Amino acid sequence: MIGGVFIYNHKGEVLISRVYRDDIGRNAVDAFRVNVIHARQQSRFPVVNIARTSFFYTKRSNIWLCAVAKQNINAAMVFEFLGKMIDIMQSYFGKISEENIKNNFVLIYELLDEILDFGYPQNSDTGVLKSFITQQGVRPITREEQTNVTSAVTGQIGWRREGIKYRRNELFLDVIESVNLLMSQQGQVLSTHVAGRVVMKSYLSGMPECKFGINDKITVDNRTKNPLDSTNINNNSTTNGSTNPSTTTTKTAIAIDDCQFHQCVKLSKFESEHSISFIPPDGEFELMRYRTTKDISLPFRVIPLVREIGRTKMEVKVVVKSNFKPTLIGQKIEIRIPTPSNTCDVQLLCMKGKAKYKSSDNAIVWKMKRMGGMKESQLSAEIELLPNDKKKWNRPPISMNFEVPFAPSGFKVRYLKVFEHKLNYSDSDTVKWVRYIGKSGLYETRS
Amino acid sequence: MPTMRGDAMRGLAVFISDIRNCKSREAELRRINKELTNIRQRFRADKTLDGYQKKKYVCKLLFIFLLGHDIDFGYMEAVNLLSSNKYTEKQIGYLFISVIMNSSTEMKQLIIQNIRNDLQSRNPIFINLALQCVANIGDREMAIAFTNDIPRLLISGDTLDAVKQSAALCLLRLHRTSPDSLQLNTEWTARIIHLLNDQHLGVATAAVSLIDALVKRSPDEYKGCINLAVSRLSRIVTSSYTDFQDYTYYFVPAPWLCVKLLRLLQNYPPPDDPSIRSRLNECLDTILNKAQEPLKSKKVQHSNARNAVLFEAINLIIHMDCESSLLVRACNQLGQFLQNRETNLRYLALESMCLLATSEFSHEAVKKHQETVINALKSERDVSVRQRAVDLLYAMCDRSNAQDIVQEMLTYLETADYTIREEMVLKIAILSEKYAIDYKWYLDIMLKLIRIAGDFVSEEVWYRVIQVVVNRNDVQSYAAKIAFEALQAPACHENMVKVAGYILGEYGNLIALDPRSTPMIQFDLLHSKYHLCSPTTRCLLLSTYMKFVNLFPEIKHHIQDILRHDSNYRSSDVEIQQRAIEYLKLSEICNPTVLATVLEIMPPYPEKQSPLLVRLKQKKPLIESENVNEPSSPSTTTAAHTEDGPKLAETAMHLNHHQQQQQQNGLLVSLDIPESNGHYEESTSNSFASLTKSSTSTVQSNKKFLFKNSDIIFENELIQIGIKGELMKSSMHIELYYGNKTNFNLINFSTNFFLSGDLESELRMNMEPIKTTIDSRAQIKQSGTIDCLKDFYDLPKMNITFYYNNIPQKIDYSFPLYLNKYLEKADMDSNNFFLRWRNLEKPNQECQKIFPAKFPMIYDDCRQKLEGFGWSSLTGIDVNSENFCGAGIIHTVSQQIGCLYRLEPNKQANMYRLTIRASKDGVAKRFAELLEDQF
Repeated sequence: MIGGVFIYNHKGEVLISRVYRDDIGRNAVDAFRVNVIHARQQSRFPVVNIARTSFFYTKRSNIWLCAVAKQNINAAMVFEFLGKMIDIMQSYFGKISEENIKNNFVLIYELLDEILDFGYPQNSDTGVLKSFITQQGVRPITREEQTNVTSAVTGQIGWRREGIKYRRNELFLDVIESVNLLMSQQGQVLSTHVAGRVVMKSYLSGMPECKFGINDKITVDNRTKNPLDSTNINNNSTTNGSTNPSTTTTKTAIAIDDCQFHQCVKLSKFESEHSISFIPPDGEFELMRYRTTKDISLPFRVIPLVREIGRTKMEVKVVVKSNFKPTLIGQKIEIRIPTPSNTCDVQLLCMKGKAKYKSSDNAIVWKMKRMGGMKESQLSAEIELLPNDKKKWNRPPISMNFEVPFAPSGFKVRYLKVFEHKLNYSDSDTVKWVRYIGKSGLYETRS
Repeated sequence: MPTMRGDAMRGLAVFISDIRNCKSREAELRRINKELTNIRQRFRADKTLDGYQKKKYVCKLLFIFLLGHDIDFGYMEAVNLLSSNKYTEKQIGYLFISVIMNSSTEMKQLIIQNIRNDLQSRNPIFINLALQCVANIGDREMAIAFTNDIPRLLISGDTLDAVKQSAALCLLRLHRTSPDSLQLNTEWTARIIHLLNDQHLGVATAAVSLIDALVKRSPDEYKGCINLAVSRLSRIVTSSYTDFQDYTYYFVPAPWLCVKLLRLLQNYPPPDDPSIRSRLNECLDTILNKAQEPLKSKKVQHSNARNAVLFEAINLIIHMDCESSLLVRACNQLGQFLQNRETNLRYLALESMCLLATSEFSHEAVKKHQETVINALKSERDVSVRQRAVDLLYAMCDRSNAQDIVQEMLTYLETADYTIREEMVLKIAILSEKYAIDYKWYLDIMLKLIRIAGDFVSEEVWYRVIQVVVNRNDVQSYAAKIAFEALQAPACHENMVKVAGYILGEYGNLIALDPRSTPMIQFDLLHSKYHLCSPTTRCLLLSTYMKFVNLFPEIKHHIQDILRHDSNYRSSDVEIQQRAIEYLKLSEICNPTVLATVLEIMPPYPEKQSPLLVRLKQKKPLIESENVNEPSSPSTTTAAHTEDGPKLAETAMHLNHHQQQQQQNGLLVSLDIPESNGHYEESTSNSFASLTKSSTSTVQSNKKFLFKNSDIIFENELIQIGIKGELMKSSMHIELYYGNKTNFNLINFSTNFFLSGDLESELRMNMEPIKTTIDSRAQIKQSGTIDCLKDFYDLPKMNITFYYNNIPQKIDYSFPLYLNKYLEKADMDSNNFFLRWRNLEKPNQECQKIFPAKFPMIYDDCRQKLEGFGWSSLTGIDVNSENFCGAGIIHTVSQQIGCLYRLEPNKQANMYRLTIRASKDGVAKRFAELLEDQF
């Protein structure tokens, strides 16, 4: 069980300290500061054990967030909690910074009281929390509100309160994917995967029930086999073995390696019928998270060419090719080419965008605002070196950042249906928006 | 240009303030990367920089380096700065080099050349910068490179005082870091010594430090410094004028110089020349007198300086240890300090008094302060001072005040700091044994000690109690009585249970007639503690119960019940289980007479050095080492015995007594002689052999210890090692004597023996642990046994390490233990001899060597050697009376090997013929090899 939560600024001063259990002493605060924040060697481990006390920490901008436990605790749970805590704080006061934390410390203590009870994590849903922890100061709570709060905390659907009304029923669906890649010099893909999230923003009245369809292989298979709509509650899916003939899969279906749903999704239905149905929380939430590793269409290809000329000179040529439909446009493209540590001067020449040598990062940064599909661009650099025979340069990979308006994994939203029986607005009355964003994760090419 | 003027280095200031303003580590790293690129750009080969710029960038690099980042360029620029003529540029260059310089060799030559240029320059500031740099780097190469230049600077007449000062200190530093590579010309000795007379006090102060270090290396060469040091000291101390330039510190004339001179004098014994000696005494007297004068200033610096000189003087007095009046005066002076308000003074006073207490002249004087010291123990707030007080009490204790002191220490023990308790327990135990007039008193004290200190009582302490009780008949019944009483206390420490268990097991019958302590009551009392004890104690108690079976047959069935109980009979602890089963069987099967024999009272322990002293020395190797030379106690003599270490009290039974004892011994040894696979060099034994003096005995041999049972087996200028051996069948008891030939204590002394290869199975060595310190001119003993399991041919290796004057020393050589040490001579008549001779005819059994004589062919010498070698010399067997015949038996654990020999001298040819026959293959050959170059 979490014994305490501390928040430090970058100097190691304690901003927030909340102790939940007696086994955590005052000195734990100092122990973490001395052994991690002020350590001579930067600590590379997310969990540190000092004097039989475990410290789980993450760092957001300049702020250290640390959970302490004396007992043998589920580390994944603690990090999930820390992540949640960051989300909550962000949704309350925006960016996590020293100043924001100082300005909101009463609120943070209030939140900490609510989301952890004697070290056990409690309801950490922002929407619910916001209904009774407000920033407006104290105001008398009406009896009705009180019952609302109680039912929200104790009821079956903890993430949505009743009686929500909107004039216009609207929902937004964002599919955000980040592509991770490691490619060899010769253009061979060494490893790649896509981590995707489906984020939903719902402004719907009442207690609507939603059904969400994607082009996942299993669900697609299910449907092709079963001509009835998957929303039709049919019972034979349990008898469907995994012996589906692969011939029925359509091209567009993708293989999802693993996925994770928001707590509102009815998992039993997903397991039995492979349909995703849920009653959404009000406002923004992350509906699902998934990961794919196969059939990823890589939006960009980087071709490096490095030539060392003697001990004092080096030539680097980098070609970038975009590899998607010409009608689409990639944005915020940034290529980072590391340079040796004994670089003294760099001359750059590029056809498109802006390139600059950033000595503070030991890298050449090449930026392009936008780039169309099926295009090619080139940068050449001449690097002058100070002769140094001590260390050999180990050529770190060239990394790349970008944003493209499609899902590189091929993920597609097939449908999203909304049913609200009591309020009598139909699926066709709601306005739905779907957007795909492909971003770069760790997108690297060895040089 | 205004920006270029002066040495402001604005860029550096900006850079540093940028770094200081960085919010995070990453930001700092970015700023540094940026700066490094900038500097690299500037340092690019094709650009030319002026001195100012170079200096600025080198400075930045230095700053970055000090922040903890690697710098791999810019060395060349820094070295260039060295040849600049501007002070600031040169200074930064030297700074960079002394901070960053590591072993980049090609650079080093360049640097050394630059330094040499500066050393030879006319500018004293440059010379000093160079000297500083040499001292800062202070490695081997520097020492070799400047082994001539710096001493020359030091002794030449036209160098400035400031330079001389630096040169002396630089030399001292080089001497400390690499003493062996710094070769000082002996011609300079006199001139270096004469620096003590230098007019400039600063030069003299620096020189004393240097001379002190040099004296430690070769005391004889620098003997001349005594004279000068004494006269210099007397000029400072006794002169009436007080003008010592800037060297009067808060009214004390040149305190640092005084202290150093006094310390220098402590390297030598008191001066022989009476005039010098009286002068020195006069100085010391004056210093002691001055301490009586009222303070000239209320400032703490004044009293500190004065006391520093005083304490060093007292140290010198203690070191000389010959002027009783001075010693007594010193003691009185220290007595005054005992009541001083200043904690440090009290500490120092107690510490010095400890030393004084060991001197025969001042022992009585120290005793006068007993009251004060005891008070200090009670009322002192500082732990370290209390600890010193305990040390002093221990040191000043003798027969007259032992009772009081022991009582006081016992009282204090209850409140003592945990860290010093174990040591105090040992001290109390030693004192009470050493000065016990009445052994009842001793037992009272020890039981009280065990009761109070509990956990802090080490094993040795209660072993010793048992030993004393076993060895003294008169106290046994009293011991049983008080042990019984002590056991009645509701909460009883385990050590107490052990002692009581052992004593009652042995002597419980002596108090059995008392209705308050009938056998049953004794047994019940003991058994009530049984379940609270650890397995080892339980084992001991089981033995006690078994002894009860013998002493009190009436409670036999109770004991059998207990032995039969599952928790013992089926104990998870193997030892308990084994004892329970064996004892049960023993009690069931044996008749009373057998039982009585098996469970007889333990015989007295052989007297030997108290293990407590050994233990105390392990704990505190530096303090109390003086006590070794004193006779240790009335009841214990230093008579040697094969095994030191207490006999295990648990092994009360004779049954498995012997085996366990050996296990225990093995344990003790292994604790002190760590297993190590040290690398030894075979060749060293030869090289060292050449150093050793030839022994004066008529029997000459290049192999040590071959013909004699005691010999000096190793000697160099620091240490001498002697050996004494005594054969008892297959086991040889040896005693090694390590003598310190120097004027300094050898510390961290340790010895290791290695049995390599086959030897491991052929020999079994059991050496006692030894003290880690050998005092100057003293010797320590290490005894042990070497058992011969089989015939062997290699030599064990020996490895000695110690610190001489803080310099680690290591000696590796072969321990000269030859097979013939296990040879016992055998007498026989001629028939018998020839019968055996003929029996050993196989080719492997015989070895014959013909060799030229190396020594004059004298009959008696040969005979002496042969007898020394171990075998008999039989006359009247061989027809030729010039020939030698004889026999011997080699005792090994596994077998006995008979050997016969015949040595035939041929005086005309100056040759010998040696024939050896032995009943085991290889032995004859080995003996022939050993002997062939000895005649």
